[in-house]
Amino acid sequence: MERFVQLHLLTAYPPANLNRDDLGRPKTALVGGAERLRISSQSLKRAWRNSDLFQESLAGHLGTRTKRMGEEVFNRLVTSGVPKQKAHEWARKIAGVFGKLNSPSKEEQKKSDYDPYDPKWTHIGQLAHFSPEELAAIDALVQKLIETKQGPSGEDLNLLRERHSAADIALFGRMLADVPSFNTEAACQVAHAITVHKVAVEDDFYTAVDDLNKGEEDVGAGHMGETEFGAGLFYLYLCLDRELLLKNLGGDAQLAERTVEALVASTATVAPTGKQNSFASRARASYVLCEKGDAQPRSLAVAFLKPVEAGREGLLANAIKALEDERERLDRAYGDGDPNAVAMNTLTGRGSLADILAYAKGGLADG
Amino acid sequence: MAELLLFQLYGPLASWGEPAVGEHRPSATHPGKSQVTGLLGAALGLSRDQEEKLAALAGGYGLAVRVDAEGELLRDYHTTQVPPARRGRTFTTRAEELAVDDLYTILSQRDYRVEAAWTCALWATASAPYPLPDLAEALRRPRFTLYLGRKSCPPALPLRPELIESNTLKDAFAGYALDDRLGRLKRPERHRYFWEEPLPDGLASGFSPQEKLWVVPRRDRPGSRRRWQFATRDEHHAMA
Repeated sequence: MERFVQLHLLTAYPPANLNRDDLGRPKTALVGGAERLRISSQSLKRAWRNSDLFQESLAGHLGTRTKRMGEEVFNRLVTSGVPKQKAHEWARKIAGVFGKLNSPSKEEQKKSDYDPYDPKWTHIGQLAHFSPEELAAIDALVQKLIETKQGPSGEDLNLLRERHSAADIALFGRMLADVPSFNTEAACQVAHAITVHKVAVEDDFYTAVDDLNKGEEDVGAGHMGETEFGAGLFYLYLCLDRELLLKNLGGDAQLAERTVEALVASTATVAPTGKQNSFASRARASYVLCEKGDAQPRSLAVAFLKPVEAGREGLLANAIKALEDERERLDRAYGDGDPNAVAMNTLTGRGSLADILAYAKGGLADG
Repeated sequence: MAELLLFQLYGPLASWGEPAVGEHRPSATHPGKSQVTGLLGAALGLSRDQEEKLAALAGGYGLAVRVDAEGELLRDYHTTQVPPARRGRTFTTRAEELAVDDLYTILSQRDYRVEAAWTCALWATASAPYPLPDLAEALRRPRFTLYLGRKSCPPALPLRPELIESNTLKDAFAGYALDDRLGRLKRPERHRYFWEEPLPDGLASGFSPQEKLWVVPRRDRPGSRRRWQFATRDEHHAMA
């Protein structure tokens, strides 16, 4: 299996302010001596992993959210012949690992119909998330309790598994300062997106009329303001370490394939949410190039060190040409390129997102 | 004569972290020992918790750096929405974290270098765990993704590792030219060089007393990654 998948995308955003600095201006960066618009990698990742598309393509693998895990455990123990009192105690121990349990108040305990073994006292106060692996671990533990007729030990309760199958964390990593053993190294590297051309951030001076002001005393605007924005064709680059992804997912190749699909589809179709209500600047990638291989991954940002000009062909056509030419030159100079790379080009109508998805996940199942 | 491994570092953004606690995360003007060690570790496939192997890597090679283009500072204003930590509340996905109703925001300022490029030179010490050609091969076909100080800063050129035999550091660097593609970057008339001593047998710095500047301690020698500790290391400076 080829270790790295590299994605190069060109996405044109209309006037927008997708990612702002502390003054509310669109973020920028200097590249090749010219100012460019920039969208930070952090902003992109947040939009992708929080998108409906990402959630939907992974539904079923993102686990279960419930307050009632304790009740499930309690019921199973009772139906398997564990005395109610013990079943209740053990269910509380297991559910307690995942959140603070509901406890009866003093007033509640004085009520005539108070039942200390009511399953509701095994519920967690808030919804807790159970990953597929955690569900399997709980299942195994309950089975063990039924067989041994012994309560869970501290070790048994260590259900917060180090290796979890949540695709989100496998791709983008997790750092818990308190519990370093739960840390996961992100399998996906995302660069800041940068426009391929020089831009000037522009000001939109706007006024708002006070509808109830009849203009008898004061004919001025009710509000004046300024919004800064920019438009441009962005180059996005990301690199996915597929071996690390597979490792983070506990070797589950099927899940890894779905994760790759979710990632690729969201990078090509999901825009950051910043100021979308003001600008409606949603956009999809016009061009996607996907490379696979074991050679040292490199972005193709050098193709745009010289700012692309619109010229007669237009910005997109010139940017695609610059990207493809640079890739060819780099591969010729350094070798080690991917001769089978797949592209989707909306300008020529060649290739599709489905081609990119197929190529990006191809070979994953071979391990 | 001594053998050196040279390679280039360029990306639109790079960040060479300096000691930082809290809101401001500064970047040095050139890569340091910990970052280059991390880069080699990633190329070799060493994970962050393999402290002994990483320590051997840090101690096994000497480092010199040429600043090919100084570039400029980019200060990124960074906000992160996070849920307050509560006992017994864990999140498995970012979307789940963002769904709670008591989010608050952490601010930070992260510094990057833009329009900058560097050339690094390594030499093996007596305790070097891998021969230099193996390191070169690892950089060509790395086990993990490489990056320039931060994960969001991928290299935008192959590192082009080359083995060069030389009597002086200065000559070794002179024998390794930066990629032509970076012609648009503003290049200094005189380059700044940094190296650590002792240099190996058969290798002198090659800089004249007029070119040599000062020796400055830099806190970038990885101690314990787990405890996030770094020791100081003397950096010799020259301009030529």
